[in-house]
Amino acid sequence: MITWLRRNLFRTWWDSIMTVVFGYVGLWVIWTVIEFVFVTGRWEIIQVNLKLLLVGRFPDELMWLVGASLTALAFWVAAVAGGSKIDISNRQSLSQRLFDYIRRFGLIVALAALLIFLAADVAALLLALQILGGVVAGRLVGLARRNVGVLGAIPSIIWHPMLASPAVALVLVTLMESTLEEWGGFLINFYMAIISIVLCFPLGVLLALGRRSSFPIIRLVTTTYIELIRGAPLFVLLLLAGVALEFFIPPSIAPDAIFRGVTVFTLFTAAYLAEIVRGGLQSIPKGQTEAGKALGLNTTKITYLITMPQALRNVIPAQIGQFISLFKDTTLAGAALNILDVLNVGTAITKQQDFLGQGLIYEALAFVALLFWVGSYVMSRESQRLEKRLGVGVR
Amino acid sequence: MSSEVFKDATRMSGGRASDEAIVTMEGVYKRFKDFEALKNINFQVGKQEVVVVIGPSGSGKSTLIRCINRLEEHDDGRIIVDGTELTTDVRNIQEIRKETGMVFQSFNLFPHLTVLANIALAPRQVRGMPKAEAEALARELLERVKIPEQADKFPAQLSGGQQQRVAIARSLAMKPKVMLFDEPTSALDPEMINEVLDAIKQLAQEGMTMVVVTHEMGFAKEVADRVVFMADGEIVEVGTPSEIFDNPKEERTQKFLAQIL
Repeated sequence: MITWLRRNLFRTWWDSIMTVVFGYVGLWVIWTVIEFVFVTGRWEIIQVNLKLLLVGRFPDELMWLVGASLTALAFWVAAVAGGSKIDISNRQSLSQRLFDYIRRFGLIVALAALLIFLAADVAALLLALQILGGVVAGRLVGLARRNVGVLGAIPSIIWHPMLASPAVALVLVTLMESTLEEWGGFLINFYMAIISIVLCFPLGVLLALGRRSSFPIIRLVTTTYIELIRGAPLFVLLLLAGVALEFFIPPSIAPDAIFRGVTVFTLFTAAYLAEIVRGGLQSIPKGQTEAGKALGLNTTKITYLITMPQALRNVIPAQIGQFISLFKDTTLAGAALNILDVLNVGTAITKQQDFLGQGLIYEALAFVALLFWVGSYVMSRESQRLEKRLGVGVR
Repeated sequence: MSSEVFKDATRMSGGRASDEAIVTMEGVYKRFKDFEALKNINFQVGKQEVVVVIGPSGSGKSTLIRCINRLEEHDDGRIIVDGTELTTDVRNIQEIRKETGMVFQSFNLFPHLTVLANIALAPRQVRGMPKAEAEALARELLERVKIPEQADKFPAQLSGGQQQRVAIARSLAMKPKVMLFDEPTSALDPEMINEVLDAIKQLAQEGMTMVVVTHEMGFAKEVADRVVFMADGEIVEVGTPSEIFDNPKEERTQKFLAQIL
């Protein structure tokens, strides 16, 4: 212990000074945060406004729809996540797996527990159990698909729409059933991010292919699109989407703010994704295409059977990074398009009569940051796991 | 077993090198910008013939065989493979690629697919073979190249020699009429060269028509029906192995052989 200290922290005079200075700063920061969270922070503002922060003024009688669509989403993700075959021979021990699960999902569970504790009602607990049920069901379906021969024989082109359809249908129903003025809070950020991610992925792949197309006109169009979008700040595009449409479409039939937000996020992220995917395609050696050609495969089949799967696998980290930044950027839509997203709600609640002028903005912002941080961190962790499992750099 | 793989394996009987040409090149030129990689190539490969192409690096050997399956486009002259002329017509190109197998110096296996899937891919996707049948064929071919136990591994888990044998099996799965080998052993560690050469020799004995670009002179002597010596994009000399190796007529051939032997 002492040797370790001496070796790593106090090796030279300079090291010792650095250790003392940064140690002091570090401890001070940690102490301040702990003090804020447990002593000085006044979290009633979050507790009172919890529902507002999470779902806005979403009508109570339609809350079941939110629960159902979240459950369906959880089911979908869980079913797909267990998609590939697991090597039974190197199964880890139970304790190792438990530890692994805690590392992967502990943060989400902790956040859920915190929210239930803050909400302090049975409905929240039931909702959490419902979502957990969705995850378990998805897991079981995923396992069954892998291990029951009859189910495994169904091609994935049927499987995936089947797994996704409940989630997609429920999200659409939720979007249609409630008027969008009632929407708000973190739910908006979450839905905008999910819908944009799902939509921008195929678009990005198509754009990447377009940019490598042998037809000059397609290349020109996609390159222009990508460079135009990448050259503009996201915030400006969002503001533009808020006003520019009125030039072309009468306000009475103009789409609402959330639709515009999703459109901008989709188009914007697709342009970045296209460049990421193109980079991935370029990293595939020419020999792969030549081998495909020599076997008599046509260009389309070479792309979607040989180069694209390898390219997408190589760029998983960059892709997920793009999705994470999309998720966080949804707060910009709040500012640009007057959507009552979680950040807008968070700043608005500090101006409520009960809390006005008490400087509670720290609490509100800390809570908003926590929600995004947990989401982003879990995504990033899962991407590392996915990367490892698909064996990037190993094969 | 091989009768399944090669329906026309019966052609083993009788003499080799029948008059019927599978590959014909007439006055073929290939230019890369200002550089002439192939100059006036006239060349035929008969059915069941094994042609070995030798020559110094940069002499156009690889370009020659890459023109046969249109990995390189020739600029002048005619190339006819199994009665189909290579033109810009995509269907002709597809047709010819189905009938020619190619083995590359750097293996070019598909790293994201298992060995079995690598071999079964083309029969399924190009010939429309059902999955079970394609996989049975793949296992049979792995048996032939003597690595049946590697079927479920990924390419990166195999040695270079094993990978190249998988690549040979992958080409054979399309039941090609002619096999092209582009320096199949140049990227291998010395101790693995023989296992790959043995697999190629075995193919030759079964009557496969082949064009092999190689630096393995021993192999050329043993297996070739004809040896083609190329230099500076031209075919300098063609002859039986003994003609070329023991009694070369051209000065460039003599020089080259003196350098490497």
